[in-house]
Amino acid sequence: MLASLLFGDYRQKVLARLLLHPEQRYHVREIARLTGTSAGTLHKELARLAQAGVLTREEIGNQVRYGANRQCPIYSELAGILRKTAGLADVLKDALSTLRERLTLALVFGSVARGDEGPDSDVDVLLVGEIGFAEVVRALHEAQSNIGREINPVVLSAAEFQNKVAGGDAFLAEVLGGEKIFLIGNENELGKLAGDPASGSA
Amino acid sequence: MSLENLLAIQRLVRHEAGRAVVLKLLTAAERNLADARVTAISAENRFDAAYKAILQCAMAALSAKGYRTSTSQPGHHQTAIQSLPMTLAVDSATVIVLDALRKQRNLTDYTGDGVSDALLAECIAQAESLLRHARATLGEP
Repeated sequence: MLASLLFGDYRQKVLARLLLHPEQRYHVREIARLTGTSAGTLHKELARLAQAGVLTREEIGNQVRYGANRQCPIYSELAGILRKTAGLADVLKDALSTLRERLTLALVFGSVARGDEGPDSDVDVLLVGEIGFAEVVRALHEAQSNIGREINPVVLSAAEFQNKVAGGDAFLAEVLGGEKIFLIGNENELGKLAGDPASGSA
Repeated sequence: MSLENLLAIQRLVRHEAGRAVVLKLLTAAERNLADARVTAISAENRFDAAYKAILQCAMAALSAKGYRTSTSQPGHHQTAIQSLPMTLAVDSATVIVLDALRKQRNLTDYTGDGVSDALLAECIAQAESLLRHARATLGEP
């Protein structure tokens, strides 16, 4: 996994939660609970990240709260890395692993893929394959609490995907033309599916 | 969460509707499910009809227990679906799917995005299964 190459386990978890929910401020215990780590070990890690300016630290009474520092010069790059790895994409890939063989393509689109998600934004996921809606919903269910967002799956068969693209479907045109985070397959598979390998869109 | 708890937080209200209302709702669910199978209309409207059948089964089950959802509170569809384990002993894996169908319905309403074959098929299958179960539990007309 790419994220573990770049960050230690605790750092990954802390940054994933805080940088991908930048509007929120968290107590140390809350971070420990949400990331499945221990508050004792987190104190030092959080203090270091705040000192470096990656996180903000505020004291209210005797409580300390941490959050993402959007003024940090590399905030959007870090958030982007975490979105494509441990903070989001890896969680979703993991959740879909049992369905993998039956999916040609899975990708995140919409506000989360663009990196302009708000506090209540869903994670929009397009899945193409021979698979039922219920299976996908059940597979992704637990990932929602992990990510701290609801997941909104759109499930299409390959034939349906192709028909819609050929018919100029507005929704798919938007997805194909917009930012994406690939979970299964890549730009190549998408181009092949969409019937236009050169542009990847129709 | 029990029905009593949902009553305490005012998501449900007491409502002794009687058996006629329960049966009327199940008949309506049947009618909507039949409409959902009409292929001459769009997938969206078929989906809406199947979803409505699901909701009517949930409402019928609540009625049979002497409750209805509080329509003055937001999210009463959600309350109706979440009450299914208490009213009809629906398992949580099914409730997860029914609740996802509810969210999809909200989304299609305001995005104008279409309904995929997989989504429509699921909604009809869930409506069929819930209606069968509701009929068996709450009684035939």
